[in-house]
Amino acid sequence: MKPTNPHDITPEAIAGLLTRATERLDDDTVAALRRARNLALEKQILNQPAFTLNTGHGIHWPVPHTPHQWMAMAALLIALLAGGISYWHHAHEHEMSHLDIAILTDDLPMEIFIDR
Amino acid sequence: MKQSTSTRLTPPGAACRGLAISVACLTLLCALSISSAAASPQPWHSLTPSQQEALAPLSKQWNSLPEAQQQSMLNVAKHFPELSTEEKQRFLSRLGAWSKLTPEQRQAARDKYRAFSQVPEDKREQVRQMVREEQAK
Repeated sequence: MKPTNPHDITPEAIAGLLTRATERLDDDTVAALRRARNLALEKQILNQPAFTLNTGHGIHWPVPHTPHQWMAMAALLIALLAGGISYWHHAHEHEMSHLDIAILTDDLPMEIFIDR
Repeated sequence: MKQSTSTRLTPPGAACRGLAISVACLTLLCALSISSAAASPQPWHSLTPSQQEALAPLSKQWNSLPEAQQQSMLNVAKHFPELSTEEKQRFLSRLGAWSKLTPEQRQAARDKYRAFSQVPEDKREQVRQMVREEQAK
């Protein structure tokens, strides 16, 4: 069999080899690997807390933990406020122009609506 | 399972930074959208032929109108092509007087018209009839 140059093996081939090798592991080794993985995940979650929906006081509310999360929350609130103002502004302009058109085209004289 | 592992292994800090950047972009877009609503004054010659047709009674004083009033008139002019011939005539004959009113007078007129349009149809028709009779005298 021709020896394989390690540089010729693609990442997909390595992944395939690892998968096949994992299938041959005994149950104890698989269980030990699973425990090690779970432990690593728990440590990572403790070190870098993510958004949570539970404050621990029975109140479900997204509470930011890190400066980045506070920034994201503040930016989200600003975006919501800006969006709301923009929506209100456009709706108000739309209503005003419709009323103007109605006053300017109604068969009733415009003067009856105007305070002199 | 494989997918959930890769999702959990994504650093939460990076996800938050991504979220912060996207939300900041959204904020900027909203701010731009609001500022674009307050358009700069437009000289008469820069208006489209359709806008000039609708705003023809204001051609002489257009360049001296306040920006806010120009914007308001341009918003109204957008609907001009949808009007019937009779409505277009009324619109053009009233636009000059309408533009000479103060913003407060225009707002008061809008409020009155809105209140009038909420009156039951038969009552409104009675008013229209009374006005027609008054005009016929």
